Amino acid sequence: MSEITNYLSPCSLDDAVRALADGDVTVLCGGTDLMPQMEAGQREYASTLMNIRRIEGLAEITLTGDTCRIGALTTVSEILTSQLLDEVAPVLVAAADQFASDQLRNAASIGGNICNASPAGDMIIPLLLLNAVVELASWQDGAIQTRLISLHEFFKAPGKTVRQNNELFAAVLFDKPPPGFVAHFCKPGPRPALEIATVSIGIGGVLEDGVFSDVRAAMGAVAPTPIRARRVETTLEGLPLNADNIRAASVSAGEDATPIDDVRASSWYRDHLVRVLTKEVLNDVLENTN
Amino acid sequence: MNKKTIATHIEKTTLIGQRVRKPDAADKSTGKTRYINDLVLPQMLYGKILHAGRPHAQIVSIDTTAAEQLPGVHGVLTGKDVAGLKFGFVRDNVALKETVRCEHDEVAAVAAETEEIASQALGLIKVEYKDLPGVFSPEDGRREDAPLIRGDFPGNKSLHFAFEHGDLTAAEAESDIIVDNVFKVHHVTHCCMGTSCAIADFDNNGKLTIYSQTQYPYNYKMDLAPALGMHPGDIRVIQPPVGGAFGSKLDVYPYEPIAALLAKKTGRPVKVLYTREEEFKSAPTRQPAVIHMRTGCKKDGTLTFRSADVLLDNGAYTSWGPTIPVVMMRTVSGHYRVPVIAYNAQAIYTNNPYAGSFRGYGNVQTTFATAQQIDMLAEQLDMDPIEFRLMNAQKPGERTPQQAFLRECALDKCLTTAADATDFVTRQKEYGLLRNSDSRYKKGIGIASSIHNAGGAKIHKSDGCGTMLKVDDYARATLITGASEIGQGIDTVISLIVAEELGIPVEHVTLMNNDSDLAPWDVGVHASRTTFIAGEGARRAAVKARQQILNAASTFAEISADELDLRDGFVVRDKEGSIVIKLEKLLRQMHFQPEPELVMVTDYYEPNSEPEGADHISNMSAAYSHAVHIAEITVDTWTGEIKVDKITSAQDVGRVISRAGLEGQTEGGIAIGLGYALTEDMQLEDGMLKNPCFRDYKVITAPEMPELDLHFIEDGCAEGPYGAKGAAELPTIVIAPAIANAFYNATGVRILSTPLSPEKVVRALILAQQADVSSSDSMATAAVS
Ligand SMILES: Cc1cc2nc3c(=O)[nH]c(=O)nc-3n(C[C@H](O)[C@H](O)[C@H](O)COP(=O)(O)OP(=O)(O)OC[C@H]3O[C@@H](n4cnc5c(N)ncnc54)[C@H](O)[C@@H]3O)c2cc1C
Repeated sequence: MSEITNYLSPCSLDDAVRALADGDVTVLCGGTDLMPQMEAGQREYASTLMNIRRIEGLAEITLTGDTCRIGALTTVSEILTSQLLDEVAPVLVAAADQFASDQLRNAASIGGNICNASPAGDMIIPLLLLNAVVELASWQDGAIQTRLISLHEFFKAPGKTVRQNNELFAAVLFDKPPPGFVAHFCKPGPRPALEIATVSIGIGGVLEDGVFSDVRAAMGAVAPTPIRARRVETTLEGLPLNADNIRAASVSAGEDATPIDDVRASSWYRDHLVRVLTKEVLNDVLENTN
Repeated sequence: MNKKTIATHIEKTTLIGQRVRKPDAADKSTGKTRYINDLVLPQMLYGKILHAGRPHAQIVSIDTTAAEQLPGVHGVLTGKDVAGLKFGFVRDNVALKETVRCEHDEVAAVAAETEEIASQALGLIKVEYKDLPGVFSPEDGRREDAPLIRGDFPGNKSLHFAFEHGDLTAAEAESDIIVDNVFKVHHVTHCCMGTSCAIADFDNNGKLTIYSQTQYPYNYKMDLAPALGMHPGDIRVIQPPVGGAFGSKLDVYPYEPIAALLAKKTGRPVKVLYTREEEFKSAPTRQPAVIHMRTGCKKDGTLTFRSADVLLDNGAYTSWGPTIPVVMMRTVSGHYRVPVIAYNAQAIYTNNPYAGSFRGYGNVQTTFATAQQIDMLAEQLDMDPIEFRLMNAQKPGERTPQQAFLRECALDKCLTTAADATDFVTRQKEYGLLRNSDSRYKKGIGIASSIHNAGGAKIHKSDGCGTMLKVDDYARATLITGASEIGQGIDTVISLIVAEELGIPVEHVTLMNNDSDLAPWDVGVHASRTTFIAGEGARRAAVKARQQILNAASTFAEISADELDLRDGFVVRDKEGSIVIKLEKLLRQMHFQPEPELVMVTDYYEPNSEPEGADHISNMSAAYSHAVHIAEITVDTWTGEIKVDKITSAQDVGRVISRAGLEGQTEGGIAIGLGYALTEDMQLEDGMLKNPCFRDYKVITAPEMPELDLHFIEDGCAEGPYGAKGAAELPTIVIAPAIANAFYNATGVRILSTPLSPEKVVRALILAQQADVSSSDSMATAAVS
């Protein structure tokens, strides 16, 4: 067992990133991923445990110009009830509605969901559709430095991201999608609550005069990281959203996905699901723009 | 202040069938209840168990030196400390092992000052294993070249049961239709909210007090004793409130003797409490089985025979689970009027987790087969499905081939009640016609029924329950019963019955039933028997106390006892309801008189049934009952998800005693049955559990509960309190086949294995499509396992 010798609960971003710079820190936010992983012996605590939930200014959802910014500490419940997000990015709110249960949503943060880098992370799929970028903060040369990195480049492997140990995930940002943008998210499972995605899928785009453009597709739990489904996007881009193209997109979805067998499903079933759910999501897009 | 006016007349009312609050409801819902898991005794140590984590191996060496030297550790035990202390149904188990036969096998145990130290000590124990080839299914286990799991059980054969009645060859010959299928039912576990826990404490006279979650305290002593080399009489069992049992606490499991052995070794109380992961891996399971069943009937719809060849996965040790074929047999021979029976069941040792008893006890497994075959026959006969069932339904006074006497039998009423409430026949036809449409969502309706013992089950020589009752000077009653409360609600039932007879408020009855040194004998909470037997015992004791009180009142008031009644804390004249004397005043008068008298009575109620013998021909229960479930479902043919829209249940309960309790039992039973049918699945790979957590082992949660329409058929019962029958298990038993039948109705595809998981459903639908099943009445038997 690893031993925690130091517990920190900074109130400012400044203090938090300074502590990170000193090294050997485990970041604790809602703890809904961290605690079970520790209990299961999949991870070990560093000597310092830093609770970041008291950091001021990191739990806000704001719109500045066309850019929406969601602070790392924002909980899934806050996303679910945000008027602003409901207007700007309803697909994120829809995904929050399918996230775990009330108790979990109250604790789970968006930063934790992204940093945990699960291929099944539910907040990640809609954010990929929104072309989101991640803001990482660190302490360098006596000041806070930030860097931005696109969300789809953020993930390396299950549980692994490009975030350096001295960096704190500060926020996720995205530009307001173009007018007419519609997106849908879908996550099947026999339980409406408390279901880790077997697969999840989100597709969005602008549907104008029957033609689908600016197509963005993302899928969860079908590859080592959440992915953009590029073949689906190319298959649909600039074409009418009709039954034939939806069928073609469903085939592309199968090509984009490289699922594995695990306790939740076989790769065969995951492959089947991404195909049928691509149809479902695109049908939803169609229905909601008519 | 106004002077309180006291009525001079009190009307006769009854509590039977009323909604009464469960006595522990307020404490449980506010978190005040102190469960066994919360209990801490002075000087208590924490015990932790080292599990093998491999399915089959020889222990080559084990070194506990470092663990013993860790500060805070008070005792370490291994297999050599328990040599010869065998226990279990066939004495094939020991608390700590020298050979590993399943993943959770207990290899060593530590008692330490804290849980953390105990866990750390486990990490310091060095074990060298030599892994052995394993057996992971009963089919593999019975092969000639299968690895032998235990030298003393050749062919890996555990228990065997058989029953034959009538001439099978002749019955087959006279059958016009025979359905023949292999059904496969899987591993699930109880998932009690409170994980397994025991606290053991020895006094210096060598007497053991064990705080236990057991649901059968008296036989428990007998089963625990050999694991400790003790006399059962030197064991006292205390049962603090528990977080569920459902059959899982109907045996002794190794953690219990381990707690006691550690307590003995250290001279201090020791608590062993499982983590949730340990619970998933080590708790008993429902018995998986492969059931080859055949049922025949004539053109006119008369059933001719049923045969069942059952192969059971015993797991590595024999708990009570492998005795479930005794109950399975009763379903095979008693589910509808089947004149000829051939039944054969063999349990095979495997290196899987071992099965224990679980609500429904074998009947869940067999009903999955019988109720689907009845459905298949109805379809192949092209008969009205309800008519077909009604014509084969037993009637009051009939006996089954095993001589179960169906003195009262309401199967026909259950069938018609449920069918009428859902407009079953019309809907089934409608949905059947729509099944080949190309819509994504398909609706289906399915019916299933079963029979279960409802008046105890005489698997021992006695199936009785002892009761003691005292009524004190304040007109408060204390009832001491052998029957345990494990959340099922016997506390409500008994308080209600005592209050009914003594004419006092339910809240004025206290139940004491958690100390084996205090309460008299009972066989345990199982077999849907407690309301029937302990309830009847309580009623008989209360009637005796009532008579004693009325006799005293008669002397006091010089009115014949027959003309008196007890109501609302008063003695009244029966006819007029006019008050004679306040009950507590009378009780004090009885006490403080020249020939003082206290109200203290006892009773031992033995139900009118016969012991289950070796030939399995006996009326082993004092009553039987039936239930019918109708499931309405929507199948998402794309994802394979089955959404259960509504369950309609009609169950013969004899008479409702505690209405809210009965509803709760029925709803809870349905939830367990739904999990079995749809989502719960212990995923075992070579004997190792892959999903030991609630994230991946999916129990039904509140949002998935369908709409429920519950009908209780109250035709009474000659035995049983006020005509009540046992009712707890049937709701779990009938649900899975009702869903499987509804699935067939929706899609034309049969799934013959549990659970009907989304992936399995999709595979079955695709398979059936490939087989190009076009006509709606042809039967695609896609048995996907
Ligand atoms: C029962 C249950 C159900 C669940 N259901 C779902 C579900 O439906 N969908 C879903 O997507 N997830 C689900 N999860 C997973 C989990 O709840 C989410 O991933 C959640 O968003 C994690 O957030 P958290 O604040 O709890 O993160 P934590 O557990 O506190 O942290 C997660 C990881 O991220 C790191 N971290 C957190 N914040 C930062 C930061 N600002 N900067 C750098 N590193 C950081 C931590 O060090 C840790 O490694 C479930 C979990 C449980 C236990």
